[in-house]
Parts: sequence; C-alpha cells; structure tokens
Amino acid sequence: MGVVVLALAAGFLTYSLSVGGVRTSRGDYEISAKFGEAGSLAPGAAVSVAGVKVGTVSRITLEPKTYLAVAKLSIDPSVKLPADSTAKITSDGLLGGAHVAIAPGAALEDLKPGGEIQNTQGAVDIFGLIGSVIRPQGGGAAAPSAPAPANPATQPAESY
Amino acid sequence: MAPAEATRRVAANPIRALGRSTLAAIRSVGAVAVFAVRGVATALTPPWFPGQIWRQFGAIGFFSLPVVGLTAVFTGAALALNIFTGGGRFNAEQVMPQIVALGITRELGPVLAALMLAGRVSAAIAAEIGAMRATEQIDAMRTLSTDPFRYLVGPRLLAGVLMLPLLTAVADTIGVAGGWLVATRVLAFNPTVYIRNTLDFLQAWDVVSGLIKASVFGFIVALMGCYHGYNASGGARGVGRATTHAVVSSAILIFASDYLLTTVFTHAAR
Repeated sequence: MGVVVLALAAGFLTYSLSVGGVRTSRGDYEISAKFGEAGSLAPGAAVSVAGVKVGTVSRITLEPKTYLAVAKLSIDPSVKLPADSTAKITSDGLLGGAHVAIAPGAALEDLKPGGEIQNTQGAVDIFGLIGSVIRPQGGGAAAPSAPAPANPATQPAESY
Repeated sequence: MAPAEATRRVAANPIRALGRSTLAAIRSVGAVAVFAVRGVATALTPPWFPGQIWRQFGAIGFFSLPVVGLTAVFTGAALALNIFTGGGRFNAEQVMPQIVALGITRELGPVLAALMLAGRVSAAIAAEIGAMRATEQIDAMRTLSTDPFRYLVGPRLLAGVLMLPLLTAVADTIGVAGGWLVATRVLAFNPTVYIRNTLDFLQAWDVVSGLIKASVFGFIVALMGCYHGYNASGGARGVGRATTHAVVSSAILIFASDYLLTTVFTHAAR
C-alpha cells in the first residue's frame, strides 16, 4: 500500500515536471532592463513576445545610484531579440500579477547575452491613474480640491 | 468553631486546587523538557541500535504512507472546490491552482500529515512503551544494562524527525494531485496549464518551510508518545490514559508550534 502511494506520487511528479518544464537550466541567456517603476513584477513572472512566453524574470534589484529597478530576464535561446526592442511591464489582469511584454524592434543586430534593453516602460500605477482622473489638476493644486467646488458657490454669496 | 472551619476549607479549596494544578502543569513542562533533552542526547550520540532505528523508520515512515496519502488527496480535492467557489465571488477562479499549491505546501501538508501521525504513531508508541512499563520490561532492560532511552526513545525521535518531512513531501505532491484531479475532471481546467501555473508560482521556500515545520511536528509526535508511555503508571488503565494523553497533547502542540513557526517564517521572509 505504501509502495502504491509512493508510485502515484512519483508518477504525478514526473508528469508535472515533464509538462510544466523547469526550463531555467536549458541554456537560457540573460538580458537586463531598467524600469522606473517595477510595480508588482516579481521573480518568476513571464516574459512574453506577442503574448507568447519566451522566458522568465529571474531577479529584480534596485540600482542604488539611479533608483531604477533592474530586472534580469532569462530568455529562451531560440528567440533572438533586436537591439532596439521595447520592454514594458503589463498586468495579467485586474487582480493578477505583472509580466514583461517585449515588443521587438527593427534593428539589424540582436541583443547579446548580458545586454540591456534600452527602451522600457515601467508599471502603470492604476490607482495613481484613477486619482489623476478624479483630481485632474494634480500636485499641490489638487490638494484643497475637496472644498474647491464649494468655493465658487459660496463666494458669490459672500460678495453679494 | 466547626462550621467556621468548614466554610474556611470550602473557601480555600478552589484556590488550593488552582495552585495544585498550576504546579502540576509547570512540573510536567519541566519533565517534558528534561525528557526531550535526554532523548535528543541519546539519539545523537553513539552507540546506536541500527535495527531499532530501521524498524522505527518503517513503522513511522513507510507504513504511514497510505493514511497520509489518502488524507492529502481528499484534502487537496476539497480545497480546490472550496477555493474555486470562494475565488468565484470576485472573479478570480483562475488563481485556484496557485492557492491550492500554497495552502498544501505551507500549511495543510505538514499539519495534516502530523495529525495523522499523532493518531497513528503517537498512540502506538505510547501504548507500546506504556505496556512495557506496566509489565516492568523497562526495569528489566535496565537490569540487563541496556539504556531504555537509547533503545526505545532515541530511535523513535530520530524516525519522527527524519520521516515526517519525507511523508510531507509525498503529501504535498499527492495533495496537489488531488486538487489537479478535481480541477481537470470536474471544473474543466486545462491539465497542463494547471500544473504550469502551480510550478511557476511555487517558490522553493514554500516547500522548504513546510518541510521544516514537518520535522518539528515529527519530533513532537514521537516525543509525546515516548513521554506519556514512559511515564505511564497504573496497569492497563494507565496505558489507556497514556495513549489518550499522547494523542491529545501532540495534536495541541502541533497546532501551537505551527502558529509559532509560521510567525517566525513570516517575519524571516520580510
């Protein structure tokens, strides 16, 4: 009985490893990209080109001098990316995590292993966007905007 | 004078009982600690009894596999259904594989395997050693200059600490397989996507922290069985009482240390 349980567990494990593929050790090459805002991007997130997964985010660190988030991306060796490709952090869904979408450029030379993607677009702060829609002035001018709509109404009444 | 004396005694009695039970509780904490230190010392220093250790590996590890496997598969399946329902309330059914995997590896795998072992192994150890105590075999052992700690307690502690993580690794796998079965057969998930989501999401620490927990739980299960069996007194009834105490105390200690360990791990991960 114990042997049956062990066999079932081993069978499921081999099945999942063959299907899921632990593919970081298959000679992937690594490139880096700097983002102003990494958002909810985490190691293990997918890197995709045209929606097809071509690699994973292996590490995210902060560059101390520039305060930029540096993401190391390990990419499938069969995918060659043009040097002027654009990396963009997009979210998987409203509640999901984030992944890196790469839009290939048109340059003739490819990104070398260890190279860096120059054109990047960081994560979009959705709540910041919502906030800027609600208070379009932004910054210090928007701070007293709660009493602001009341002012035009009360001011004529006072000056009257 | 007699009525006054009687009322005084009645008034003093609850306090006296409280004091007595407090002292007994503190005393047993100390006794368990001393027992544990002695047990660990004998488990880690030679001479060992390889035959005994091997037999306990089999009794605690291998023969617990069916129980642990069945528990894990049904728990994984039920967990998958429940999280699917719960996730559906905010349109997040698709994160079900990840949550099932996280719940199984970090929490349910180790805790349920340990609880099944508390029922199966802790009780058996307490009954076995308790019966040996009742029939004075432990005293006979000492007469024959065999350290009963070295022969009885050490191998069981070793087996508990080493076997429960292995059982938990099996329980993790089978638990995820149970969730996978329900998700693919009942809830129409794509089998390969389910597994890929699980593997992409799980981090090594999720599994490792569960295994660390499991080895602490294994120690508790073996320790409680040995302690209550070793200190059993009063013949057959004493053995019965020791068995009950072993199961109840190891179950409670498992939950308490589970919370403690999870707190430590959460702070360590930050």
